Amino acid sequence: MFVRFFYMLREKGVPVTPTSFLRLQKALALGVIGSLDDFYTAARSILVKSERYFDLYDQVFAHYFKGAQIEGMEDVELTDIARALLEEWLKNPQEMAEALGLDEETLAKLTPEELIRYFLDRLKEQDGAHHGGNRWIGTGGTSPVGHSGRHPGGMRVGGSSRSKSAVKVAMERRYRDYSQEGPLTEFQMGEALKRLRRMIPHGPRDVVNVEKTITETMRNGGEIEIVFDRRLADRLKVILMIDNGGWSMDPYVGIVQTLFNYARSQFKDLKIYYYHNTVYSRVWLDPQRHLRPELIEEFARRDPETRLIFVGDAAMAPYELVGENGSLYLGQRDSRSSQERLDFLARTFRHAVWLNPQPESTWRYTWTIGEIGKRFPMFELTLDGLDKAVQHLMRRH
Amino acid sequence: MKPVGETVQFRGAERYVLDDELAKIVNVSMALEMPLLLKGEPGTGKTMLAHAIAESLRMPLIVLNVKSSMKLLDALYQYDTLTRLNDSRFGDSKRDVSRIEEYIRMGKIGQAFVADCRTVLLIDEIDKADADFQDDMLDVLDQMQFDIIEIDKTITARHRPVMIITSNAKKDLSDPFLGRCNFHHIAFPDPEMMRLILGVHFPDLSETLARASIQTFYRLREFRGIEKKPATRELINWVRALRCDPDFDLKRIEGGDIPYLGVLFKKSLDLNLALQQAGRSRK
Repeated sequence: MFVRFFYMLREKGVPVTPTSFLRLQKALALGVIGSLDDFYTAARSILVKSERYFDLYDQVFAHYFKGAQIEGMEDVELTDIARALLEEWLKNPQEMAEALGLDEETLAKLTPEELIRYFLDRLKEQDGAHHGGNRWIGTGGTSPVGHSGRHPGGMRVGGSSRSKSAVKVAMERRYRDYSQEGPLTEFQMGEALKRLRRMIPHGPRDVVNVEKTITETMRNGGEIEIVFDRRLADRLKVILMIDNGGWSMDPYVGIVQTLFNYARSQFKDLKIYYYHNTVYSRVWLDPQRHLRPELIEEFARRDPETRLIFVGDAAMAPYELVGENGSLYLGQRDSRSSQERLDFLARTFRHAVWLNPQPESTWRYTWTIGEIGKRFPMFELTLDGLDKAVQHLMRRH
Repeated sequence: MKPVGETVQFRGAERYVLDDELAKIVNVSMALEMPLLLKGEPGTGKTMLAHAIAESLRMPLIVLNVKSSMKLLDALYQYDTLTRLNDSRFGDSKRDVSRIEEYIRMGKIGQAFVADCRTVLLIDEIDKADADFQDDMLDVLDQMQFDIIEIDKTITARHRPVMIITSNAKKDLSDPFLGRCNFHHIAFPDPEMMRLILGVHFPDLSETLARASIQTFYRLREFRGIEKKPATRELINWVRALRCDPDFDLKRIEGGDIPYLGVLFKKSLDLNLALQQAGRSRK
């Protein structure tokens, strides 16, 4: 039932899994969904797992149910669903077994063909048994769910009821704000960067170490000897290098500012340096890049466990990167090319990433992005990108 | 088991305005016996929902407050080695030191499993823990059993608890985790809903004050550059503050002069911004 709806959601980019689709079928079979309104909310809570997709869901729902006739299954979709189903099955046999109502062993014995057949049969069976044709939904209008008696243990519906139809509600697109395109806020950054930390013992010894206490007590002939440890605290060192020069970074000032604010309030041991386009013999502690320079060679003395994060668009003229006198600034004569400087930093700090505020899809049009990407793993400055970058930074090498 | 200390701060369904949509989702999740994952801005009543469900279904509520350092074992049971060590040394307790069972204490999930009746299990702020904890926990909740290694005993749930999981994170949880939950995002209440919410907290609130405060509240939320927008909790506290102030005059709000901004804006930067913008809008 609603195979096309499922397929449409997938096509529009809502990550719906076949397992959750089967679960929706189960909910339909249980009779807890009695109207289109119910279907709207129930299907959303079962199929869609993030508010970022609520808006898309609304659009698909409105499109699909707005006077739409529910059509029969078509071969094309089924092969697609079958393929998705198989993928899912390979990934998580146990969950799949549960959703299909089989035990794992029986499932394991099925060939892929049999599995798909079984899946289809189940869909058909539910079609006949519970829905009585295509148009069973939306005719009743009132919900039998939740009011006293009908569903044992159900919640009573209280508060105010929206007297609009589900399609109308969907068409309001209440969740537009939550869709993925929104700008990154400091709060979101915080979420993404939360894992970026290293816990080491610090502070007074005030935590009982049970294991050691027991060992020491035994050693002491049963006389209790309590052993205290230091508490774990975050002592991660972070160096943030920000490209703040030139017009090419201008559009990203806001987002970099957010990152900067977050980093400053969050990391205990943070150094922020500034550079323009790429790194030459020195970087600066002051945003004007004038007063407080620091030589790149000095960084060799830093703790190699420090996490180095570059922020920049990495877009420049090739000679700025490879030329020995690449710097745009007069008076900044240099013996080595920026390339070599970057190599040096990459060697010094094992945990380093480059965050690029430009969308990843445009990276391949800029030669220098590719070159820098060879030295530092590059990630998009978005929620997902930050997440991946943090994973990379915290990886054990 | 003991009926859990949380009943003390239990606000109850009388103080919670349940919206229609959410009620349906709760029912579907219960029918499917799946945990319900709730997300939403702070102050949209995620935690309160579990309290409301427990009250309206007359089930005891068990709250597991997730902490970042938490291990799954802490939520299941604890083997109190220190007490045992102490007992074996001094031997002045009634416990039998040779029986390890006497030193096993149930954690929150354990309590929900061994409870005599069906319970509501609220797992609050799951996003604080790391991904492994989250997945392992769902395994336990799926299978409805866990082993106590020390005494080689399997605890099987007598009743499948109604599970409500909340998360503040904007970031998504792992896919396998999401796959096993139903999901709902609680949107910020609209003014109409807010009026109802104020109504249950202040039954004798005058209509004019309610309207003026809600109007102002939503206007304040629109201010630019605010990092932590005032939420329901702040509004309720603000109304409480207004009502406590004998000198308070409704006309002042309407004139754009907003007292007690500090109740609404908790960060100093936000408060400054709000003061500036409120001042500007004054007629």
